Amino acid sequence: MSWSSRLAMLLPGTVERDSGGTEPDPRFTFANERTFLAWSRTALALVVAGLGIVQLLPPFPGVPAGRHLLGVPLIVLGGVLAIVAYTEWGRNQRALRRGEPLPRSLMPWILAATITVMAIISAVVLLISALR
Amino acid sequence: MTPQQPAPAGDGPEERNPGLAQERTSLSWTRTAISFAALGGVVLKENVVTGLIILAIAPVVWRLGQVSEGSGPQPGFSPVGAFRLFLITVAIVAVALLCLFIAIFGKSVPGALR
Repeated sequence: MSWSSRLAMLLPGTVERDSGGTEPDPRFTFANERTFLAWSRTALALVVAGLGIVQLLPPFPGVPAGRHLLGVPLIVLGGVLAIVAYTEWGRNQRALRRGEPLPRSLMPWILAATITVMAIISAVVLLISALR
Repeated sequence: MTPQQPAPAGDGPEERNPGLAQERTSLSWTRTAISFAALGGVVLKENVVTGLIILAIAPVVWRLGQVSEGSGPQPGFSPVGAFRLFLITVAIVAVALLCLFIAIFGKSVPGALR
């Protein structure tokens, strides 16, 4: 699939046009929308956490870039998660319309991997500033 | 697979009142609006203008969540619905970029939590 058609799939309104199928049970549509909203709140929480780390925490002694090292990836992850949530909402809605099984979600993997990496970075930053 | 019809009436609370799904969704929109307001409150501490912009998104999100209310118990999926979700995505990405800018270039308040 070309990049332009991938981008076109992101635009609102394409779900109904290109997937055909029939209107799913409205409860499924609502559930899909709630899932999207829940991921959106997760994304916003990550942005708040990242901004809070950079702006509110006292600097780590010995690790001058420590706060940015922890906060900036969280903010970026928040933005990425919002986009992925939207694409997965569209994929799910297409599958619902066609009566196909729901595609596997990437987001739990993305979130778990990033939280693990952030935990490791946090531990390293804390250890360095504590040992100093 | 056959087209999905609303499940036949049963004894479950969902079957007796299909509006519950819509109400849960509406509440979910409200929570999302509150999340925007919370983020706006945090940013207000760092940068008043940006904070006010984000705070102003909150009532818009809340209002978007009320769109499906008027169209009956089965508004289903419509391009309008997709457009709402697209707006939320754009808003979060914009807010993340603003926050990234503040985080990198903004004057931090060291020890605000000390």
